[in-house]
Amino acid sequence: METSKTIMLELKEIYKSFGRVEVLKGISAQIAKGELLTFVGPSGCGKTTLLRIVGGFTSATAGRVILDGEDISNLPPNMRNTKMVFQSYALFPHLTVAKNVGFGLKLQKWSKKKIDARVEELLALVHLEGLGNRTIDRLSGGQQQRVALARALALEPKVLLLDEPLSNLDANLRMVMREEIRNIQERLQVTTIFVTHDQYEAMSISDRLLVLHEGVIQQIGSPIDIYERPANEFIAGFVGYVNFLEGRVDNTQADTHSLVIATEFGRLELDHTHPDIRPGDQVLMVIRPETVSLAPGDSSEATNTFQGIVQSQMYAGSLAKYTVKFGHKEMVIDHYNPMGSRKYGKKEKVKVIIPRNVHILKRQATT
Amino acid sequence: MAERLMTAVVDRNWWYRLRAFINANLINFFAGGLFALLAIFLLYPIVSVLVFSLWGDHGFTLDFYAEFFEYNFYYWSLINTLILGSSTMILLVIIGFCFAYLTTRGPMWLRKPLKIIALLPLAAPPYIFSISLITLFGRNGLLNNLFQLNFNIYSWTGVITAQVLAFLPLSYMMIENVLNAVNPSLEESASDMGASEFRIMRSITIPLAAPGLLKAALLVFVMTIAEFGNPAILGGRLPFLAPDAYLMITGEADFNMASVLSVVLIAPCILIFILHNFFLSGKGYTTIVGKPTAAEPRPIDPAIKIPFLILCIPVAIMVLLSFGVIVFGSFVKIVGVDNTFVIDHILNTQSNIAIWNSFKVSLGAGLFGAVVGTLLAYVIMRGKFHGRKLMEMIALSGFALPGTVIGVGYIIAFNRPPFLLTGTIWIIILNCVFRFLAVGVEAGISKLHQISVEIEEASADLGADFLTIFLKVILPIMFSAFVAGFIYTFMTTMMSLSSVIFLVTPGYDLASVYIYLTAQLGELGLASATTIKVIAIVAVSMALLKVVARKTGLDVKKQGA
Repeated sequence: METSKTIMLELKEIYKSFGRVEVLKGISAQIAKGELLTFVGPSGCGKTTLLRIVGGFTSATAGRVILDGEDISNLPPNMRNTKMVFQSYALFPHLTVAKNVGFGLKLQKWSKKKIDARVEELLALVHLEGLGNRTIDRLSGGQQQRVALARALALEPKVLLLDEPLSNLDANLRMVMREEIRNIQERLQVTTIFVTHDQYEAMSISDRLLVLHEGVIQQIGSPIDIYERPANEFIAGFVGYVNFLEGRVDNTQADTHSLVIATEFGRLELDHTHPDIRPGDQVLMVIRPETVSLAPGDSSEATNTFQGIVQSQMYAGSLAKYTVKFGHKEMVIDHYNPMGSRKYGKKEKVKVIIPRNVHILKRQATT
Repeated sequence: MAERLMTAVVDRNWWYRLRAFINANLINFFAGGLFALLAIFLLYPIVSVLVFSLWGDHGFTLDFYAEFFEYNFYYWSLINTLILGSSTMILLVIIGFCFAYLTTRGPMWLRKPLKIIALLPLAAPPYIFSISLITLFGRNGLLNNLFQLNFNIYSWTGVITAQVLAFLPLSYMMIENVLNAVNPSLEESASDMGASEFRIMRSITIPLAAPGLLKAALLVFVMTIAEFGNPAILGGRLPFLAPDAYLMITGEADFNMASVLSVVLIAPCILIFILHNFFLSGKGYTTIVGKPTAAEPRPIDPAIKIPFLILCIPVAIMVLLSFGVIVFGSFVKIVGVDNTFVIDHILNTQSNIAIWNSFKVSLGAGLFGAVVGTLLAYVIMRGKFHGRKLMEMIALSGFALPGTVIGVGYIIAFNRPPFLLTGTIWIIILNCVFRFLAVGVEAGISKLHQISVEIEEASADLGADFLTIFLKVILPIMFSAFVAGFIYTFMTTMMSLSSVIFLVTPGYDLASVYIYLTAQLGELGLASATTIKVIAIVAVSMALLKVVARKTGLDVKKQGA
C-alpha cells in the first residue's frame, strides 16, 4: 500500500450480544487512512453487526470505536462522521435525485448555491450528470446505487461504510459497479469499509480482508495472504476450492531449505518457508487444484509424485477438471489452458505431481 | 465538521435541550396520546354497553338477559336476525361465486361489464336498495302497477333481496380474490388429463377455494346481521336486533335493554372472529407452482355458463334497475302516481341542508381520522413498547363491530360527565373517526412495510435528528396513506347510518338519516334525490382514491362499509 500508515479507524475489543447470543467476541482491528477493508464471512458471522456498530446504529456491549483519534463509541449516527450506503440504498422516495444527494448538506445549513454546485460535482463523479431532477422510482438499480453512493460521499465522511451494496444488482452490473466503486474510492482516497458475503467480490475489491466467522476474526490480510497463506483450515476452504492432505514432518533439511513430510501415500519434499514447523509436527497441506500437474503413466519413482486413477473428467474450454483417486483419497485437479495438450480419460492411470511450494498448516496433536 | 457537531453537544441552551427532549420522547408522546384516545372513544363505549347490560338500579343483575330470552318479541328479533344473516349468506356465496367464476374464467367480453355491475353497489349506501325496491314493488310501485301485481315488499323477500344486492360487492370481491389465487395451470392440467369443465370446478376449483369461500361467507354473515337500514325500512312488523336497539333508545329510552340487544349482536361477531383467527388461519392453499401463464382462457362449457348466467343476469338487472329508478324517482313528482318531471326534490332545501351537514361532518371525520390513523400506523410499526399488537387490535375493532353497538355505546358513554358530548356535532365526528379508523391504519402500515427502516437510519446517518426525520422524511412518505385514510373515512361517513342515527339531534339531519326518515314516510322523491347526491359525492371520492392509489402504488383495501 502506498498510503501512509496513519490509522483512521480503530476497533478495540468489541463485544456484542443479542440476549444470550454472543455475536461478536472481541474484535480488534485498525484501518489505515485511504484503505479499503472488507468485512467478509458467511451469513450470520456478525459482519453487518460490526459495520452497524461503526456507523452508530447498534451499540456494542463492550469495546471502543476510535475515529481519527477520537472516541465515538457513544455518539449517535447523526453525530458521527461516518456515512453509510445501505443494502436497500434507502433513498428517499419522495425526493428527487438531487434532493437526495443534497439532504445531508441541507441539514448542515449549506447555502442553496453551494449545495447545487456540490450536488452537480457528485453526480458527475458517479456518472449521473443531468439526472438530478429525476425521481427515484425512475432510476435503474445501478443508478440508484450511484445516487446512494453520491449521497454518502456528499459530506466527505472520514469513513465510508458500504453494507452489501452490490447484492441487489444482477451479475453483470455487479462487476461494473464493483470496479466503479473501487475507482471512486481510490480517486478520493476515502477510507472505506465494505461488507459482503461474496468471497470473490471481497478478493477483487479490497486492499485487505477481515474474515469473520462465528464472531471471531479468522484472519486479516491482503487477498494474496488470504489465498496463498491462509491462517487456518476455515480460511483455506473459504476462498476457492482446496484439497487437504494430512502428514507428519519427518525432518527438515537446512541446506536445501527443504521439509520432508510423510503421508499415507508416500513422502513429499516441500519448500521450508515455515519457521515454526519442526520434525514430528502433524501438518495439514493446503493444495490448490490448479497447482497440481498430471502426467501419463504409472511409474512413480520421481519425488512428490503419487500414482492415481482418473475418476471423472470435465472439459470446460478454459480448463479441464479431473478428480483423481489414490488410495481412499480423492483430489480435484484443474488443468488450465488445456488446448492442444494431453487430456486424460476416465479410468486412466496418471501421475499426480504435487508442487514444492504448498502452504502448510500446523495441527494440534489430536491423538 | 465533527468539531461542529461536538460543540452542538456541549452547547446546551434551552432550545437544544427542548429539541433533545422531544427527539427522545416524541414517539412515546404519540403512543400515550393515541392509547388515551382509543381508550376513551373505543374501549369506553364498548365497555359501557357491557356494563349497562348487566347493571340495573340495584347493581349487578342478569334480569335484562332473562327478560331478553323470556319475552317473545326480543327472542324473535334474535331468531329473525339469524335467519336473515344465514339466508343472505347462502344466497350471496352462490351468487358471488357465479359472478366471480364468470369474471375470472368466463368469456372475455363478459368479464368487465359483470365486474363493474358486481362492484357498483359500493358507490351507494346499502339502504339504496330499500328505496329502489319500494319504488319498484311498493304499494304504488312501478312494476306492481305495470303488471297488476299484489306484491308486498315489506316482507322477508324484500329485506333479503335488499341485503343480497347491498352486500354483493363484499361477497364478490372476496370470492374473486380466492378464484384469482387458484393457479390456472392446475385447472389446465386437469383439463389436459381429460376432466370436463364441471368436473374441474367440482374437484379442483371449489376444493382449493373452499377456505376462502368460508371466510367470505362468515364476513357476509357478520356484515348483514349488523346492517341497520334495510331491515328497518323494509322489515315492516318483523323485529330485527339492530333496528330494535334503535327503538329501545328512541322509543322507550331503555338503555339497559338496548345494551343487551347490542351484546347479543356482538356475540356472533366475536364467535366468528375466533373461528376465523384460530381455526381458519393458515388454512388457505397457496398454489404457486411456477409462473401462472394463462394468456388464453379456456372456453367455458355451456353447461356451466348458461346456468351461471341465468343466476347472474337477473341480479345484474336488479342492480342496474335500482340505480335507474333512484334517478327516475328523483325527477318525478310522485313515483307511480304522478310521473311528471319535476326538479323540486333535487332542489329541496332540507335535503340540501342534510347533504351539507353530512359533508361537513365527513370532512371533519376524514381529516381527524387520517391524522389519528397515520400516527397509529407509525407508532404500531416503529414504536418499541409492549402492547403494540393490542393497540392495533383495538384500532381495528371499530371496523369489525356493528355500527349499532358503537352507536348505543356512544349514547351511553357520552351523555354524562366526564365526557358530555351528546347533542354536539363532535360526537358524530368522533364516532365516525373511530369506527372507520381501520382503513387509515392499514394503509399506513402497508406504506411503512414498503419503506425499509434503513430510510430512517440513512436520514440519521446524514445528520438528521428524530424530529427532522419525522417531519421531513416520514410524514412526506406517509402522505399517500394519509390521503387514502382521509378519502375513505370521508366516503364511509357520508354513507354511514347505523351508528350516527343514535347520535343526531332533531333538527340536525345528516344525509343518511334524512334518507332513512323520508323513506320511512314514503317520500320516495326526496329519499331518491338525496341518495343521488350522496352517490355523486361518493363516486367522486372513489375516483380520487383510485387516482391516489395509482399515483402512489398504494394498495387501498376496499372493504364493505
